[in-house]
Amino acid sequence: MSRKLKRKKSLWYRIHQNEKVQSAETVLLPLLFGFLFMIMWQTQKLHTLLHTDTFTLPLPSRILTIIADNSDKIMLNVNATVIVTLAGLVAGSLIGYGIAVLAALFPKWGSCGLKIIAAFNAIPIVALAPVMTNWTKDVSNHADIRSMVAKIMVVTIVCIANMSINAYRGLTELKPFSEDLMCSYAASKRVTLIKLRLPNSVPYIFTALKVAVPSSVISALVSEYFAEYIVGVGRQIRENIVLAQYSSAWAYIVVACLIGIIMYAVLMIAQSFMLKKRA
Amino acid sequence: MSIRKKITSKPWLPMLIWIIGIILVWEIAATIVSVTKRTPENVLPHLYQIFGQIFSTKAVSSGKTATMLVLDSASKTLFRAAIGFITGTVLGFVLALIMKISKLAEKTIFPYLMLIQMVPILGMAPIILSITGDINTSRIVIAAILTFYPVATNTLAGFNAVEREKYDLMYSYAASKYTIYKKVLIPYSIPYFFTGLKISAPMAITASILVDTLQGDGGLGSMLSQSLKHAMSIYVFWLIVFFSAFIGIFSSYFMGFLEKAVLPHKRKTKIKRKDDAV
Repeated sequence: MSRKLKRKKSLWYRIHQNEKVQSAETVLLPLLFGFLFMIMWQTQKLHTLLHTDTFTLPLPSRILTIIADNSDKIMLNVNATVIVTLAGLVAGSLIGYGIAVLAALFPKWGSCGLKIIAAFNAIPIVALAPVMTNWTKDVSNHADIRSMVAKIMVVTIVCIANMSINAYRGLTELKPFSEDLMCSYAASKRVTLIKLRLPNSVPYIFTALKVAVPSSVISALVSEYFAEYIVGVGRQIRENIVLAQYSSAWAYIVVACLIGIIMYAVLMIAQSFMLKKRA
Repeated sequence: MSIRKKITSKPWLPMLIWIIGIILVWEIAATIVSVTKRTPENVLPHLYQIFGQIFSTKAVSSGKTATMLVLDSASKTLFRAAIGFITGTVLGFVLALIMKISKLAEKTIFPYLMLIQMVPILGMAPIILSITGDINTSRIVIAAILTFYPVATNTLAGFNAVEREKYDLMYSYAASKYTIYKKVLIPYSIPYFFTGLKISAPMAITASILVDTLQGDGGLGSMLSQSLKHAMSIYVFWLIVFFSAFIGIFSSYFMGFLEKAVLPHKRKTKIKRKDDAV
């Protein structure tokens, strides 16, 4: 606060307060940090820091070459993972939203049911994945189809809890008096649901998805470990490690990160479109 | 009030009926499965069969009963998970503090904090194992990384949720920066901090179990995979599934309990919109 008493603001302070400089900083600083990190990685400074070698932690250039060289095979695995992730995400979110609507309509039983679903959320994926693999043994005679169903079911369960809890909050935490207003219109339960509760829950849906997208990618990767059929980015990471091909494993790790980042970016764009009208 | 009304108005009644309903559905499904499937114990055993294992005195592996085996490996797994969890919590809190103190640090680090949750840490478990070379260290590192993210973002959200007026009051007292942090910011962020802990506690346990499956030196995960490969009774697998589900749920509740113990004044009031930072 003593700064304000000075007659002249220092140049450094004035630069720092400039809005353009501030917005530039938000973009440039992380970029600079990432750039430094990559340089440290490429020049093997990171390796000395972590006491490791280029065999277990290959250079970025080497990882990129591997991705470029094996793009066909990688795309095959990416497809498998993305299908599982998206199918599970969509199914889980829809079911979760349905549960939330039911819970909002019958709050006495619903809120308790949600508590149980929230408890399901804490079940480790590693416990779920093998169970699902066992349950889907008879779905199909083809190992690829039945293990895909098992993986989708794991992702679905992970998403259901998250979506239903958030959507329930969106459906019930209404603006003050808005419910009374609907009541004074003598609006039926159905109309209140459609005109008031459903629109109110849209931002909460995005809150849920922001958590669900990364966690569904990760649960897809982990459930691949326990699946019968050997396909998918997560499984390839593991298979390559077992074969001690660390650079290929790293290539799949980078790809897995990219899947997550791209899906998150798509979600963010969708959110800015959907919520634009509300601002 | 009639007795019937008294019973139906109890808050725990719907919960009880839900749980009974789930048990019923499980048992009906298990009965169907036991008739139609060749190996029903692999798909869906009866609940009494699973819980019967707890009290059975038959040795499943190297002279231990199923309960002893599960508890033994669970204590190993949980101990490692706890160390990683505590490390990650401390790191996450310190990082949130650094990001609050310095705008520069926040701008630099925060986008990467968002990126970290995209990195499939659980998928990277084998790589971290090969970098650290030691299974115990890698377990701790992975649990710490998973814990660290929710704690850091939630605590930072807590710091940033402090209202303008609170600062103004402190400025009018001519409070030093240290006092502001001690008296306003840190106490204010504690509920958010616990929200982070509630999210990350089950994750740390999941991580620890998953790392167990990579190398067989005891722990829940390695028992899980051994039992799946029929190296021992399949009921051990079911017991572990139930047990890990239970400790996952319990760990989250335990954090809630700790929160109530630390913050007596939060016992009644609910903090709204607390999960938004995630």
